[in-house]
Amino acid sequence: MRPLDWAVLAASLAFIIAYGLWKSRRTSTTSDYLLAGRQMPWYAMALSIMATQASAITFISTTGQAYMDGMRFVQFYFGLPLAMILISAFVVPAFHGSGVYTAYEYLEQRFDAKTRALVSVIFLIQRGLAVGVALYAPAIVLAVIFGWPEEWTTVIMGVLTVFYTAAGGVKAVTWTDFQQMLIMMAGLCTALIMAVWMLPSDVSFTGALTVAGAAGRLNAVVTSFDWNDRYNVWNGLLGGMFLALAYFGCDQSQVQRYLTGRSIAQSRLSLLFNAVAKIPMQFLILLTGAVVFVFYTFEKPPLLFHARELEAAQKHAGYAQVSERFDRGFELRRTGARDLLAGKDSGGFTRGQRAIDEARRDAARLTGETVNDTNYVFLTFVTTYLPAGVVGLIMAAIFAAAMSTISAEINSLATVSVIDIYRRFLARDAPDRHYLSASRWFTLFWGIYAVATARLGRGLGSLIEAVNQLGSLFYGSMLGVFVVAFLFKRVGGTAAFAGMLVGQAVIFAAAKFTSISFLWFNVIGCLAVVAVALAWPRPSR
Amino acid sequence: MNEPPPVLGTWKRLYTAVALYLAVVIVLFSLFTRAFNR
Repeated sequence: MRPLDWAVLAASLAFIIAYGLWKSRRTSTTSDYLLAGRQMPWYAMALSIMATQASAITFISTTGQAYMDGMRFVQFYFGLPLAMILISAFVVPAFHGSGVYTAYEYLEQRFDAKTRALVSVIFLIQRGLAVGVALYAPAIVLAVIFGWPEEWTTVIMGVLTVFYTAAGGVKAVTWTDFQQMLIMMAGLCTALIMAVWMLPSDVSFTGALTVAGAAGRLNAVVTSFDWNDRYNVWNGLLGGMFLALAYFGCDQSQVQRYLTGRSIAQSRLSLLFNAVAKIPMQFLILLTGAVVFVFYTFEKPPLLFHARELEAAQKHAGYAQVSERFDRGFELRRTGARDLLAGKDSGGFTRGQRAIDEARRDAARLTGETVNDTNYVFLTFVTTYLPAGVVGLIMAAIFAAAMSTISAEINSLATVSVIDIYRRFLARDAPDRHYLSASRWFTLFWGIYAVATARLGRGLGSLIEAVNQLGSLFYGSMLGVFVVAFLFKRVGGTAAFAGMLVGQAVIFAAAKFTSISFLWFNVIGCLAVVAVALAWPRPSR
Repeated sequence: MNEPPPVLGTWKRLYTAVALYLAVVIVLFSLFTRAFNR
């Protein structure tokens, strides 16, 4: 990072936080603090929803995923528009009409206090475990790329986020999310333009697509079905729809974004904007990764993108031989790519790619690891080749992505703690200013908790996988309870409660004893809850 | 509750348009995959 990069990063963060605090300066009631007085316009909610979903690690690793595995990850989002339609049609009017602060408060209106308490506690456990990982994930990547101490990155990011979240509540979260999303889009578009710009002068954009396609990096749609492969069109449509239904319909960190809307129409528009914008955005992120792959076809990449693993491999006796094979593979692939651009396929490109893959695998084996440097590809490209200022902008985008996710999580954890636990079970009839004060203290508590537990992410291996799998362990049963609440009016609280417990047990069993992709846990858990709730005997009148 | 959307007149039409949009996106991505991916 050069001085100009630091200046861009610092100015972006300062502006975002100041803007969020200024927009939230008139926060005087609990409703203001937790629901922005239900006065938010659709465009602010729309970008806040997108920013909450786009975490730093998603931003960093999605590009790397396209580099390594191609663009098929985009199919993960195919079910999202369908989920948005269903939530807009059924969930938004129900939540708005009941005047609730949280999704779980609605469950007491529909069922009973024990069902509300159970789902609230499950949310607190699940989000509480995830918030530390969300904070730690970018810190570990930045530590490897820049050598920044993980603890410092975690503390700085955490303190800044807690500061504006505790001070301004959901208004500050939403308006900072709005700015953060704009910075993320600016960073993304700049990165894509720069990646295309940096290609050799004789390689056109269409030529770059030809090379990326020859390496199987443009596999945006895979139509073959496999239960164990999460990225095909069928898993994306069905599994992705259930995951999005659970995330946007039952997870307070998202529900709270659209509960702040000034009307049902405004909340619906915010969700439908996401339905339309999310897939193209993911496509652009993945395309950036594919173009970076083409860039590194003509410009030699490091043998391993994870600098510390590369250093460890270099100390072994076998490294020179592996490195030589890697160099030969790179030359073969580059010559093969030139042949492809000239309209002839000599087979050199594929052979070179195979040699590179083998050399990378062997280099990782030297250190006793498997190749897993997906998270380091994009930032290595950015910091090595992009000019001063642009690096700062992209770092600002990564900080923005991290802070927008963490702020929404802390904000929602505090809201559920105050509304569903503290106000419901511990202090029922206190004045409004008491709950406002409690909301600030719980925000502070969850912020400190996030920073304190961030290091737990250290032992979780692939962090993005860990977060997604953790969510899927709980989302299916939560979704099932809400499906019963909305669609089966005759089912009572005890049946829903029992269904939730059984659904949770079924998901844990599926995770423990089968190899089914975690995307399907949402479907399985949801169906189990619905089946048990419907089969449960109704109380006699 | 019955406030109409700013475009297309009814929410049902807007939902249909979003579903059609998804279908078009998947078709376009399929064509993109066929055109370039090996």
